[in-house]
Amino acid sequence: MGPAEGKSPISRHFGKSLSFVRKNGSIFLIYGFIILIAGMAAIYSETFRTASNMANILRQSIILGLIAIGQSMVVLTGGMDISIDMIARTVALTVATLFATYESDSSLIVPLLFLGVTVGVTLGGINGVLITRTHANPFIITFGMASILRGVNLAISTTPIRGIPSPYLRIYDAKIGIIAINVIVMGIIWYAVWLFSTRTRLGRSLFAIGGSERVAQLSAIRINWTLVSAYVLSGFFAALAGLFVLARMGVGDPGTAEGMTFQSIVAVAVGGISLYGGKGSLIGTLGGVLLLTMISNVFNLMQVNIYYQQLLLGLVVLIAVAAYRSPRSVRPG
Amino acid sequence: MPESQKSDTSGEVILSLRHIDKTFGGTHALADVSFDLRAGEIHALVGENGAGKSTLIKVVTGAYFPDMGTITINGSNFQSLKPEQARDLGISVVYQEFNILPELSVSENIFLGAQPRGRLGLIDNISRKRRAYELLERLGARESIEPDQLVKDLTVGERQIVEISKALSSDAHIFIMDEPSAVLPSRELDRLFSLIRTLREEGHGIIYISHRLNEIFELADRVTVLKDGEVMATKNVAETSNTELVSLMVGRELSDMYPPTDNQPGDVLLEVNGLDVDGTVFDVDFNLRVNEVLGFAGLGGSGRTTVCRALVGLADIHAGEILYKGQPVPKTPGEASRAGMVLVPEDRKMNGLVLNQTMRFNLSLPNLLDFVRAGVLRSRLEDRAIKRIVEDVQIKPQTPEILTENLSGGNQQKVVVGKWLLTNPDLVIFDEPTRGIDVGAKAEIYIRIRELTRRGVGVIMASSELLELIGMCDRILVFYEGRIAGELSRAEFSEDEIMRLATATVSTKGS
Repeated sequence: MGPAEGKSPISRHFGKSLSFVRKNGSIFLIYGFIILIAGMAAIYSETFRTASNMANILRQSIILGLIAIGQSMVVLTGGMDISIDMIARTVALTVATLFATYESDSSLIVPLLFLGVTVGVTLGGINGVLITRTHANPFIITFGMASILRGVNLAISTTPIRGIPSPYLRIYDAKIGIIAINVIVMGIIWYAVWLFSTRTRLGRSLFAIGGSERVAQLSAIRINWTLVSAYVLSGFFAALAGLFVLARMGVGDPGTAEGMTFQSIVAVAVGGISLYGGKGSLIGTLGGVLLLTMISNVFNLMQVNIYYQQLLLGLVVLIAVAAYRSPRSVRPG
Repeated sequence: MPESQKSDTSGEVILSLRHIDKTFGGTHALADVSFDLRAGEIHALVGENGAGKSTLIKVVTGAYFPDMGTITINGSNFQSLKPEQARDLGISVVYQEFNILPELSVSENIFLGAQPRGRLGLIDNISRKRRAYELLERLGARESIEPDQLVKDLTVGERQIVEISKALSSDAHIFIMDEPSAVLPSRELDRLFSLIRTLREEGHGIIYISHRLNEIFELADRVTVLKDGEVMATKNVAETSNTELVSLMVGRELSDMYPPTDNQPGDVLLEVNGLDVDGTVFDVDFNLRVNEVLGFAGLGGSGRTTVCRALVGLADIHAGEILYKGQPVPKTPGEASRAGMVLVPEDRKMNGLVLNQTMRFNLSLPNLLDFVRAGVLRSRLEDRAIKRIVEDVQIKPQTPEILTENLSGGNQQKVVVGKWLLTNPDLVIFDEPTRGIDVGAKAEIYIRIRELTRRGVGVIMASSELLELIGMCDRILVFYEGRIAGELSRAEFSEDEIMRLATATVSTKGS
């Protein structure tokens, strides 16, 4: 059953773009939603449609964005990182404590940034090693790690940790005009991560493992190494998120990143990355992040109760899952 | 060996399709197809992939509505069927992918969705087990399957019997079997065949789809050949031949299938001495030379696949040595493929392809390093290589963005072969290279294999199709229960001889 012959060039082009749309349907869907909701909000709310609010949304999307990127790496392999929010928190609290201990010494900023990243990467690495050694379900291992870290974080502090040197806060505040520098940096990060996922060997390997571990193994992909890398990356981005939150709050907040694991999974799922792994795109994740951030922004502007936001998040997940259900046809022979 | 059939086709017609037409978009899937099935008949349905067999079956089961034509079942006429109607009328399909739950028992699976109930509407376990018992007995399977056994403990053949029992339990009268032998090891085939014959004796009608023509001659009463959506012919099996069927299916002569060879084998590429694998394969010795095609024959479970996998480091080697190009063989598939030794595995869907990814992704997966410059994959390098291999191996359609799960079996196999050919191997091991593939694609794969041996590559081909081995190989090793039962050179090739060694039958000829 080959392609239909005898079609005019125009209808063939139309057919090609149609199949492009159909294949990347989830991405079109998500960005369509964003435009729709942005449009509605812009009509109803004067505050929403200001440039500074738009810039604000972009900056607000950074935290979820970083965590969602980390989560994407892991979900692509068919796993899940439940501990990602706790890793972010651990990094934030650890760095904050060290700042406080050494009397807010500004010269510590750069070393502590590196330290924070190291902590995140190490915790992620532990996740990865445990998962590859025990062959246990990643959900369970990272769930255990999340519980452990929650306890560790409580032990570090249950009250805000003061003593962050003011220059550090520039990470959040520095702007060019109304655009924050961190937004530009984040844009570069998104691009780099997308490039990584599609154009590097490690990136392709993530998809391969999620798609079929057996085939990946036969194709000379180093499974264990790749899996550990996925969790290390997750820890890396979790650390960046934690460090960013620290700059935003100005204190070490014991509630850092609360609930962000769930949000990151929503963003990833809504953005079209299959929760079974092996399929999807970082572009979709970006869409998911922007959508969720925008909804949150709109709700805040309209001063909607935070509980309703939770409700909506849940609804969005259900709708996304229903919309992306691809009928897996049974191929008889 | 084929037994002579009584073509007893005197039963009444229980299913009749008249002038069925079905078009999808630009594809005319079924064109004026007429087909009938009699009670007490095994009617084979053959044709290349894409010929329309699946579409025809889906029309019968109610999955598709025909655009034109009538379906007559037991005297009642229909323009189209709904699946529930088809089921109620006694139509039942056994697919290759079984719909059974491994963690439940045999009897629970047989009566899935239709559990016998007793008083108070609660499930009656005793009645269910008894009825399962009776069904299994009817099918002659009672010695090997207990109603209480968990399905996950059954062999593939036994699971298939459960699937067939399920059909029987819903009082099916028309059985459609889609490539049932494809998933079975040879030793379970006989049981399947006798089971199908039992169904025939009970007066049911069976539509039997298979690529294996020798099965048709062993089992079926009539055969219908489909080609490009049209019925080419319906014949009594006793009145036709392998050659005729193939030429009807394909429009090509059987003798053209296997490209001729005039290659002279070169230096020794692979040496295997005293190989023991996994506790199932013992004392295997052989050599492979450059430009040579070495065949592995033998019944299912005789050790062919195990040896193939051991060569690339996928099985536990307990003893013996393997020398590749004079050096000890690499221990992992990754290292093996880097050294030029690759395996085209038996099960392309499980081990050969990442189904939910594009052709491009799959083709470049083992070759990523070739396209990487400064840490980044260069599209131009990738595209060029992909374009080249898609043309070389004749994958259709040629768009690299197509998802491999949407390709036909033959093209899927070509993708698997193609991705390994891209690695420029020196030794290619094919395990069942043409299983479940239509005749046209098979011929194309044989051409590729022949080309390899012209280019200084050594080939090992493990296969259960004797004709394929005889047509393609220079030498054949026959396995029996984990050991090599014998080696045949080209002059000694014959189906009889291979089967004799494969079943360890003592030769009746004088030695």
